Amino acid sequence: MSRPSILRTIGWLWFLASLVVLAIGFREAIFLVPTDAAQGDAGRIFYYHVPSSMLSLIFPYINFLASLAYLYWRRRDPLKALTSDALALTAAEVTVVYATICLVTGSIWGRATWGIWWTWDPRLTSMLLLWLLYVSYLMLRRFSSAGQSQTLAAVLSVFAAVDVPIVYMSIRWWRTQHPAPVFGGGPDSGLDPSMMPAFVWNIIAWGMWGIFILGFRFALERRRQLAEQDAALSAIEASLETAQ
Amino acid sequence: MTWHSFFNLSTLEHRHLLAAYATVLIVQGGYFLWVLRGWLRSKNPRD
Repeated sequence: MSRPSILRTIGWLWFLASLVVLAIGFREAIFLVPTDAAQGDAGRIFYYHVPSSMLSLIFPYINFLASLAYLYWRRRDPLKALTSDALALTAAEVTVVYATICLVTGSIWGRATWGIWWTWDPRLTSMLLLWLLYVSYLMLRRFSSAGQSQTLAAVLSVFAAVDVPIVYMSIRWWRTQHPAPVFGGGPDSGLDPSMMPAFVWNIIAWGMWGIFILGFRFALERRRQLAEQDAALSAIEASLETAQ
Repeated sequence: MTWHSFFNLSTLEHRHLLAAYATVLIVQGGYFLWVLRGWLRSKNPRD
């Protein structure tokens, strides 16, 4: 069995397993977890909001490491640099997807629970900043006309990664509107045992889905890069033939 | 909670719950379909 066929089979199996775990997570969150006494059924938004929020702070580091690898390899080994660049782009897109979900579901939950869609709370503001940084990263890559757009984007991603620990620590440094940390927030933090299965299934499910979509998008970007390389080689060969 | 109450739009909290889950489905599903469309339109240069 060839390597592409093995990767395709793994991709399909991972995709199907993700769907199964997502279905289990949905069932746990909607039908099995008891209704929250304080928040009512709006509290079930937590099971999609928190996993997406946590994952939106992990994918930026893939973008960050891939960008550092790109900056390291770009003069030493351009083929490795191209692979790193594809991974950086993919991780930035997935970050935007998860951060969008975090912001929108958080806003919907806030309207149901606090009575407001938005407040300039440090956690919300730093998360919005994170989203804007990765959207600007993608726009820079999309619209920059300079030949250095990959390098500029890689440098931007190094600065964008600085916001990630600020988002994480914001609810520890400043106690304002956003709820206190659920995990690692001191002796009063933690989840009720009845909420644990739904939370664990959903964090696994959205993590698996994130890895799948990251791999799929990366494969597409590599395919696009290879097509561009082949087109460039064909153009060079054609120009050499014309010169002869 | 049941399917019936999940799709019950008579209260604010249920409307918001459904809107939040629909948002997740639309954003993740939309991105997946966009990548899939790109994949189906591209051809493997090694073929």
